[in-house]
Amino acid sequence: MRPARALAARAVRDARVRTISFAYLFAAYSYIQPVGYRHAYPTRASRLGFATSFGENRALRLFYGEPHDLLSVSGYSAWRVGGTLAIATAVFGLLAAVRAMRAEEDSGRMELVLAGALPRRSAYLAALAAIGAGAVILWIAELAGFVLGGLPLGGSAYLALATVSVVPVCAGVGALACQFAPSRRVALELGGAAVALLFAARVIADTASGFGWLRWATPLGWAEELRPFADPRPLVLALPAVASAALLFAAGRIAARRDIGTGLLPARESARPRLALLGSPTAQALRGQRASLIVWTAGAGAFALILGVISNSISSAGISKSLQRELAKLGAGSIATPAGYIAFVFIFFVLAASLLGCAQVSAARHEEADGQLETLLALPVDRRRWLSGRLGIAAGAAVAVSLSAGMLAWAGAASQGVHLSAARMLEAGANCLPAALLFLGVAALAYALVPRAGAALAYGLVAAAFLWQLVGSLLGAPRWLVDLTPFANVAAVPAQHFRAPAAAIMVAIGALAAAAALEAFRRRDTVGA
Amino acid sequence: MGAGVAAVIATEGLTKRYGDTLALDSLDLSVAQGEVYGYLGPNGSGKTTTIRLLLGLHRPSAGRAELFGLDSWRDAVLAHRRVAYVAGEPSLWPALTAAETLEFLARVRGGVDPVYREVLVERFALESSKKIRALSKGNRQKVALVAALSSRADLLILDEPTSGLDPLMEVAFRDSVLEAKERGQTVFLSSHILSEVEALCDRVGILRAGRLVDSGTLAQLRHLRAQVIDVTFAGAPPSLEPLSGVTVAPNGHNTLRFEVTGAVEGLLAALGRHRIVTLRSREPSLEEIFLHHYDGSSGDVHAPG
Repeated sequence: MRPARALAARAVRDARVRTISFAYLFAAYSYIQPVGYRHAYPTRASRLGFATSFGENRALRLFYGEPHDLLSVSGYSAWRVGGTLAIATAVFGLLAAVRAMRAEEDSGRMELVLAGALPRRSAYLAALAAIGAGAVILWIAELAGFVLGGLPLGGSAYLALATVSVVPVCAGVGALACQFAPSRRVALELGGAAVALLFAARVIADTASGFGWLRWATPLGWAEELRPFADPRPLVLALPAVASAALLFAAGRIAARRDIGTGLLPARESARPRLALLGSPTAQALRGQRASLIVWTAGAGAFALILGVISNSISSAGISKSLQRELAKLGAGSIATPAGYIAFVFIFFVLAASLLGCAQVSAARHEEADGQLETLLALPVDRRRWLSGRLGIAAGAAVAVSLSAGMLAWAGAASQGVHLSAARMLEAGANCLPAALLFLGVAALAYALVPRAGAALAYGLVAAAFLWQLVGSLLGAPRWLVDLTPFANVAAVPAQHFRAPAAAIMVAIGALAAAAALEAFRRRDTVGA
Repeated sequence: MGAGVAAVIATEGLTKRYGDTLALDSLDLSVAQGEVYGYLGPNGSGKTTTIRLLLGLHRPSAGRAELFGLDSWRDAVLAHRRVAYVAGEPSLWPALTAAETLEFLARVRGGVDPVYREVLVERFALESSKKIRALSKGNRQKVALVAALSSRADLLILDEPTSGLDPLMEVAFRDSVLEAKERGQTVFLSSHILSEVEALCDRVGILRAGRLVDSGTLAQLRHLRAQVIDVTFAGAPPSLEPLSGVTVAPNGHNTLRFEVTGAVEGLLAALGRHRIVTLRSREPSLEEIFLHHYDGSSGDVHAPG
């Protein structure tokens, strides 16, 4: 099966940038958490204080799941790392499956492969082998992080296995989506919706009383129920094994039967002309991005609504002043009040709005790589106007995401009788924008200067800045070094006041970078794929 | 080109390097108003690079290019009001239908002849309600051609526009270019399909490895080049003494093909001593002119297109 092996190797190579980025993230995160915990909570007393207050906080379970043991370094790491990275592995599995199984097909390369002597079954198995290789790399990276962070080898291997067990299940979801969807984009949307549902089930199970059973309905819940370092239950591994086998088998059966380049769902190949939003390149770009922007806004809004609803479970009872200071090291600030909690979690909307900017710059780059930009620039279209139009759409989308998050968090809190001021919550939303605009400007500059790698660089910069904000102070880095990341300069609105000077500086940096981007873009050649 | 005639396209020492590769080497080109100019060269000879420079998509490493007296790079937007372009593989927006694409391109251009557009849609048998993603390469090319031709731009820049078209549509394309010519539009047609250039073009430039190796009217190029003489002998072809300016190659049973540059007297004298059944002489096709420029030493032809 030489050709199949070549195909698998090709798929692994195609995915290398994503795999390596995820592996770095996994290794860094799983190294930092045990080290940081030991540093911040050196004594049993301090750990007990942490466990009884911060750890029992239902709102935090949204991200990390249900804690089982917060008094040991390993138990804390299992809670803090396992839950978060399981979400990342879910995304990884989906992306890997759609890339290996559908992107090749959409580009027409798979026709070339199947026109050779390779049977379909081998092509499918080659794609699976490539995804499996990615999962093994993630497992090794996470394991290495834990062991370097001082956790025992056996338990770390099991914890990393629990996290990575989500990959094959979500790859199965992605593989099945690839069989139904008529194109890669639709496959990603279908698979993304399914993974979002699986995440929502875990969130409800971990935060709402009486819904704990829902954990058994989602691979993210299974990863928790494996209970690494607390009360290991390796038999639970049968669930992801059976589920992924069933999903991948079903997808494989369909893949062997369907026409290549099509899905079980019909593609709409023709339509009556709709002439709205065709007046300018910017209008047309908005038309193309509309669906994606609605998904971003709705997704962020739904998340904000949930956060608002559960913010009423926050109380400051029993938290000592000294513990609160310790909590501040985790970046949590005055998390023990609903307003503090909302302010704490809104850093994730700063992140979302920043990533949205990167995604829009990436979409602009796609228009260049696919050649449509040349079609436009051969018309009387000014380069700077084209790029500033795309940046305008990105900025507008960031405003929509941020403000709707603020308003929906307010609405969610109000529905539970938590009274936050609507104006302050709007401010909390707007507070996400300066950092997002900074990153948008920097992403545009990266794109203008290094077109092929610009979007990836921007994503990497946002991820690095965000991680540094999470762990910089935990590791005891000096204040000025922590403050280098824009995320550290975002005030915790509504718990704190909006920091106008910091916001002005961030917006100014973003504007300067955007201006430099326009100038650099005006001077360079168009660059193909 | 004579002085005083306003050139639609003019380049002077136009040069483009990509890293170490010299894609276009000091190109001097002039296309007058109303001309149909054929731009010939094999893949990778620099045709598309030239067009990218003319359209201000890429910036010259040296020299300059002008459209209508406007600098191609600096005044690109102004110049493009009078230009329509069809790429070799047109990149359009997969989610738009053909009709939406035509409308979008017309609005961005700011001017289109809607009546003529309908004529073209009919002529090219365009399926207007189909989405671009559902169209084959040739059908996408038809959309781009209709958009460009219906703009009635003063200059049409066409980069291998028929590479995906079937023979019927090639006829439609030729009719449309001749109509454009009648209206006084200037056409810059890059191609490696020689019959197309022969049928349409007033003048031809031949590009090889980034250099313009020849240019002129078809008549001028023929004058410069060989005659082709096929001679069928009564028996096995004789081996002739080498003659200067004559190449010979077997061409089927008992037949030799001679290519003669300059006078044919020497060859006729040599043939007179043999029994000949038929002798056919003709002007070389553009294909043969083309091959003449690229045969033998084509190993170094690899500049990016």
